[in-house]
Amino acid sequence: MSEAPAAAIVTVEDLRIRFPTQDRRETVKAVDGISFSVLPGETFGIIGESGSGKSTLGRAVVCLLKPSAGRILHGGTDPYSLSARELRLRRRAFQIIFQDPNAALNPRMSVLDSVREPLDIVGEGSRAARDRIALELIERVGLRPEFAARYPHELSGGQKQRINIARVLTVRPRLIVCDEVVAALDVSIRADILNLFADLQREFGLTYLFITHDLGVVSHVSSRIAVMYLGRFMELGPAEDLADRPLHPYTQALLSAEPVPLPSAMRTGKRVILQGEIPSPTNPPSGCRFRTRCPFAQAVCASDEPAWREAAPGRFVACHFAGDVTGHPINATQTEEATA
Amino acid sequence: MRSTGNVRLDEWTRTNDGLPNDAPPVTDDGAVLLDVRGLGIAFTGGAARVQATHDVSFAVRPGERLGIVGESGCGKTITGLALLGLLPAATSHVVGEAMFEGQNLVGLPLSRMRHVRGRKISMIFQEPMSALDPVFTIGQQIGETIRAHFGASRRQARARAIEALASVGIPSPARVHDSYPHQLSGGMRQRAMIAIALVCEPRLLIADEPTTALDVTIQAQIIDLLLDLSAKSGTALLFITHDLGVIAETCTRMLTMYAGEVVEDAPVDSALVQPRHPYTSGLLRSLPRLSARGAVLPSIAGRVPTPSDMPSGCRFAERCVHRRAECAAAQTIVQFGEHRVRCGRHDALVLPGALTDREAAA
Repeated sequence: MSEAPAAAIVTVEDLRIRFPTQDRRETVKAVDGISFSVLPGETFGIIGESGSGKSTLGRAVVCLLKPSAGRILHGGTDPYSLSARELRLRRRAFQIIFQDPNAALNPRMSVLDSVREPLDIVGEGSRAARDRIALELIERVGLRPEFAARYPHELSGGQKQRINIARVLTVRPRLIVCDEVVAALDVSIRADILNLFADLQREFGLTYLFITHDLGVVSHVSSRIAVMYLGRFMELGPAEDLADRPLHPYTQALLSAEPVPLPSAMRTGKRVILQGEIPSPTNPPSGCRFRTRCPFAQAVCASDEPAWREAAPGRFVACHFAGDVTGHPINATQTEEATA
Repeated sequence: MRSTGNVRLDEWTRTNDGLPNDAPPVTDDGAVLLDVRGLGIAFTGGAARVQATHDVSFAVRPGERLGIVGESGCGKTITGLALLGLLPAATSHVVGEAMFEGQNLVGLPLSRMRHVRGRKISMIFQEPMSALDPVFTIGQQIGETIRAHFGASRRQARARAIEALASVGIPSPARVHDSYPHQLSGGMRQRAMIAIALVCEPRLLIADEPTTALDVTIQAQIIDLLLDLSAKSGTALLFITHDLGVIAETCTRMLTMYAGEVVEDAPVDSALVQPRHPYTSGLLRSLPRLSARGAVLPSIAGRVPTPSDMPSGCRFAERCVHRRAECAAAQTIVQFGEHRVRCGRHDALVLPGALTDREAAA
């Protein structure tokens, strides 16, 4: 890709992450050759089905998983080239928030203790000063100070997620990986939390890597969106363009599968219902890995892996037949022409 | 497939056992299949008593698809469970009635409820893994239902179960029949659950967040399947979900619940375009698609009041931007045309629905 990695806050270069299967006979290729850069201050959205490897990618970005091949650069530096001590210091700027707000909080620790814990580990300032920072952040995420003394079981899902946000903010991160952070929340609460993320981004100059399967959410918050399938990116582009004029058949199918709360007469566009399920990442299909579910698949899709190419300025896609430089989407006639 | 092969259930029941095939025809239009009136659910724990739902009334006509929406804790799920007598008997207290084919499901003795569950009314749940028994094969779990209700032989049950798995779009149904739940993907498990629920061709299927745990692509498959099966067999659907998009694409009516009460009940298109209760409107407006990209999303401030701390007047008043002094009085549900709403100000308010300004103007 032609982005300048020097300015990027995170650069991922041909990243591969593999896990052995339980019987150790096969390898799960969870992330299988991904390159992109996240620019300071942007919200980089990643969508895809379960099993596409998006959470694995998120964990790798914050050094919770080590790349099997390829590199991750934090502001131009490879964190794995640092000493353990230096890595510990540097990675504070790269935090992650998880989907399940319950599982992320210790039920035996009060809210204040949980929020202060990262500061205790960092070990800066007096206990009183750390308490003060934690309290400030508890209020900043929209909770009254009396919540500090409460325990997770006394809080709702939305409140717990606010606590998780306050906790990562204590160490002043530059980038936060948000892994399905609103998936477990009700619609009205979801809106509140998304608004809070937007406020904090402005106030603290944060960069987000926003991982979700919810297209409504990802296209609302993101500046750019990457669509992931079986460990690879299928498409990457500015949020508006990608949502309005998807180039890759998989993106089109994802967008059309999203149920729209509109009266039947106003629902436009035919739904592309994908047949079958995401194949196993131990043995992805040859050529284009989406071809087994693609309504437009041709012989070439099985034999040749489509190149990751820039179809229009800033719009990257991996599909033999996706729209050309004019960016018009794929259609049936196009694929017929292509085979003719 | 064995000798009993491709026999349809209705023929099969008539020819293979002594049970009457007593399902009334599905075309009895106007008739009500399920009539719920004044359903109230309370739980007791020690000395405390918590009124979870109050005066819940609604009707489901044969073949109708009714969606129930609301935030967590509004009483959607327990209403579904109460209809099948699935709430813990020792700690729950259900009042009111739920008339289904001439009998009241509330307080129905277990011996008679057993003929309703799975045969007349089935239920599917959000998390298929916890609803399926991990130590029995899928086939054994479908066969159990068939054998319990029709007294079929093992061989007949197997044939019918494989047929049922095929009808929900499971490839190689014979193999899945002999698989254990952990060997299937989430989407396949949910299909298997649906096969179990529909194998006796019930008249009503209660689906409690059946697609929430699934990917959007698989969700689209399951919704299509449910619509298709419902159209083919005339099975009515009671669809419990917090996803308004799913309701719009699946249901014919939408029932909004808030803090244990029905606050709105209307044909789905009408509820989406012109909701009459501020809570329904608030839920619809908080969807990201209605706001400009990156703009502040409208939300409903505050939380659902807890059952132990329920206001005596309008239960939504505390969070409602249209609140007036009169909202401190208890609200009754008012009917006009096909619409019912529990808001004293419904005549005075024009509330935005799920359309963007541009769509609404068109």
